[in-house]
Amino acid sequence: MSAKLKKSLLYWLMLSPLVVVILFPFGVMFVTAFRPREELFVFPPRWWFSEFRWSNFVEMWEKTNFGQALFNSLYVSIAATALGLLLSIPAAYALSRYRFPGKSAYRTFLLMTQMMSPIVLVLGLFRLMVVLGMVNNLNSLVLTYAAFNMAFTIWMLQSYFSTIPRDLEEAAWIDGATHFKSLIKIFLPLAVPAIAVTSIFSFINGWNEFVLALTMIRSSDDYTLPVQIYSQVAGRYQVEWHHVMAATILATVPVAIVFSWLQKYLIRGMALGAVK
Amino acid sequence: MAAVTIQNVEKTFGTLKVIHGVNIEVKEHEFVVLVGPSGCGKSTLLRMIAGLETISDGEIVIGEKVVNNVHPRDRDIAMVFQNYALYPHMSIFDNMGFSLKLRKRSKAEIEKKVNEAAGILNLVPFLQREPRQLSGGQRQRVAMGRALVRDAQVFLFDEPLSNLDAKLRVTMRTEIKALHQRLKTTSIYVTHDQIEAMTMADRIVVMNAGRVEQIGAPLELYDHPGNLFVAGFLGSPSMNFIEGHFSRSDGEAVVVTEAGTRLPAPDLADAKEGQAVVFGVRPEHLILGANGVEATVEVVEPTGANIEVFADIGGADICAVFFERHLFEPGEKIGLGWDTGKVHLFDKESGQRI
Amino acid sequence: MKSLDGMKPLLMILPGLALAMFIIGYPIYDLGFTSLQEVSRFGKLLGFVGFDNFREVFSDPLFWASLNRTVIWTVTVVLSTLIISLPIALILNDDFYGRGLARVIIMLPWAVSLTMTAVVWRWALNGRAGLLNATLMNMGLIDEPIEWLAEAQLAFTVEILVGILVSIPFTTTIFLGGLSSLPRDSYEASMVDGATRWDQFRHITLPLMKPFINIAIVLNVIYVFNSLPIIWVMTEGGPANGTDILVTYLYKLAFRFGQLGEAAAISLIMFGFLLLFTIIYVALVMRGERQTDTIEEDE
Ligand SMILES: Nc1ncnc2c1ncn2[C@@H]1O[C@H](COP(=O)(O)OP(=O)(O)O)[C@@H](O)[C@H]1O
Ligand SMILES: [Mg+2]
Repeated sequence: MSAKLKKSLLYWLMLSPLVVVILFPFGVMFVTAFRPREELFVFPPRWWFSEFRWSNFVEMWEKTNFGQALFNSLYVSIAATALGLLLSIPAAYALSRYRFPGKSAYRTFLLMTQMMSPIVLVLGLFRLMVVLGMVNNLNSLVLTYAAFNMAFTIWMLQSYFSTIPRDLEEAAWIDGATHFKSLIKIFLPLAVPAIAVTSIFSFINGWNEFVLALTMIRSSDDYTLPVQIYSQVAGRYQVEWHHVMAATILATVPVAIVFSWLQKYLIRGMALGAVK
Repeated sequence: MAAVTIQNVEKTFGTLKVIHGVNIEVKEHEFVVLVGPSGCGKSTLLRMIAGLETISDGEIVIGEKVVNNVHPRDRDIAMVFQNYALYPHMSIFDNMGFSLKLRKRSKAEIEKKVNEAAGILNLVPFLQREPRQLSGGQRQRVAMGRALVRDAQVFLFDEPLSNLDAKLRVTMRTEIKALHQRLKTTSIYVTHDQIEAMTMADRIVVMNAGRVEQIGAPLELYDHPGNLFVAGFLGSPSMNFIEGHFSRSDGEAVVVTEAGTRLPAPDLADAKEGQAVVFGVRPEHLILGANGVEATVEVVEPTGANIEVFADIGGADICAVFFERHLFEPGEKIGLGWDTGKVHLFDKESGQRI
Repeated sequence: MKSLDGMKPLLMILPGLALAMFIIGYPIYDLGFTSLQEVSRFGKLLGFVGFDNFREVFSDPLFWASLNRTVIWTVTVVLSTLIISLPIALILNDDFYGRGLARVIIMLPWAVSLTMTAVVWRWALNGRAGLLNATLMNMGLIDEPIEWLAEAQLAFTVEILVGILVSIPFTTTIFLGGLSSLPRDSYEASMVDGATRWDQFRHITLPLMKPFINIAIVLNVIYVFNSLPIIWVMTEGGPANGTDILVTYLYKLAFRFGQLGEAAAISLIMFGFLLLFTIIYVALVMRGERQTDTIEEDE
């Protein structure tokens, strides 16, 4: 047996307990989502189930108003990402390209807000939305998500922007480009990957957020997915677990795939920015 | 093509002053090299000429026009950057044609100009590639090509060869010089490499710590360095400096070192008896001979073309270069002589040439 | 033109700054104000009462119990996460068959929102039909299903375990970033010097990883301290407030019991704690940056 093969087996053996625990909830999700309702509460409990009930998903979609929640989540995540990027890109550009008075104070401020979690401020945020008359309005989430995400997006973007050599833009000016032209023709094309990755992370943050959505949104028509699914579980006498798990799969799996695919950029971004 | 005049230019970053009142006149068609140690402000000065840094004080004139507040794109200059600054997302053709495209030239004209420049620089086979598919030397050529297509008033170069290996550097040096002889575009070239400066320049500007030390033709600076800094900076191995006091005895001028060694020196009218001076002589001006000053050989380094000998002369270190092959042993005593006409004397206090 | 150039970067950061200041600044101001007021159940401010709300908080046994549990929760989760994550990062940084797959699996919990994770676990731990019971019974480890979430002590332990599970990916990621930045030649040099792998770990890896370990500690403390969804979704702090930590207790006070004054006071106390840790974090980051800056200048 080659040394590498031996090492691989040893490593997998060491990782296996964790791998099992990580995959366990996914297994639970799948076997519950597909099983017939009658087989939810059998005794003794078991993994096995008699047939794949695809209709669980259709039922769930209708009964839990899933489509509406999906739309709400999409709206909030996309709008918050767009707003956040609109404000973050110029700020990140300024950070990576200019010296200006107060720059280090501004960077400190960013680091501080990056650490500010909405939960500590949730009461104040709620009262703010009351003042603004935005309770029960999805836009209250758009504003707060964008604001709380901005530190992260600016930080991430500026760490990528700093890797785009400044002399490319300078060369463009000397070649006869205006500032605006050099931004459009030189800088932005090179920044597109960074912007795309950052916006996907920002989107996922909004997609997964729970506390603020739980607080600001009161009517079930405006629930986002996490709150919608939570509401299927909390304070109910009878929980339709097969529906809940079906909804969880739909809300989770696509995002998880994208995230796993992009996760290496996050490592790089953190190595470049936050941790450095 | 235009002349460039730099008048009392200063530059301050925050509170840090890095350029202290510089005056340089670059004539039309001239190839001027700014040379100086790293960090002395060469790039900053060049970038002010390009319009990439604001000018804190003074004036820069290109042609007839004061350009202090003119955007780089309107200065009609071309620049070759140290790291080339090729646009990574464009083909070589588009890199070279970008400036013409921005100026809304016709497709046919762009094609013609780019092909012309690519022909001169041997880049024709690479026009459809992207920058990352080229070698360092080829990228360097593209950077040159981008400047070439422009017919700019002035070419600016910021250490364009510093990222190339030694051999390529020599070749490119010659090519750039040949190119200038052909196009005669006014050029300002920044380098920290004195050999590049000596070989390429019509005139050299030696800079140090944000100031101009001396301006002149290469050999003029080499033969008559105005101060200790210029004397030490140009030439390799660099000039030997030995401190001592000037003295005239028996009608002969000498510099007496601390240890009492008497070094024959030129009898300069401006040198005063007992003046603290620095005696300077270039290694290649030392002559081996029995009636010279006694020196003890310490290290011998044959380079093939010549032999460099490091010796102790009355307590001071001295380096000599000989073109004939002698066998030297460490510890051996030799006599070193020189033509006093080739000796430079500097005032110790001011560092200025006497 | 000059003065306008100087303004440009400021104009670029201003809109974002304004939004952040407003959305984050106003609540802080409002919490400060509210914490000094008597507040009706419906959020009406009834007048200035000085530090009464704080006094009430400090004399509330549930607050102290929650605080106590917060400390246990934070310390256990963060420490265990670090201890588990470092060897995992070392493994994932090495080359072996299936490393790509292993990386994806280890990172999976991060890709799923805490809410969803907690919902799934709540079901998996169901006392009657939960599949954890099914698994353990199949393996013959237990005879009867266990009511995992019915008793506070056990429920809290389980929640801590889930907390550890979801913190591992992020921590591993930080460590991987750190490991990838370690200079390869130090390892080669030490091998020439005759170091064993354990020597290398002790004398090269661990010291060089220290800044990353510090950052991981601070960030994890902040995240775990603030983490609501796991406990909220799994037990809502129950049974009988037995799994409440500060965030869940705060949330209940504010949005269940309508004790806004007290909730505002707790928010401020937590905010102060958070601020302290954030300052530590900022100092760590800034120090790291200064170090890299000087390295760059040395070149
Ligand atoms: N943007 C800047 N801000 C502050 N100091 C700078 C900046 N650019 C250059 N300097 C400083 O100005 C001095 C001259 O730099 P530079 O012109 O790049 O030197 P050279 O090109 O001769 O090596 C250096 O001390 C450098 O640190
Ligand atoms: Mg330079």
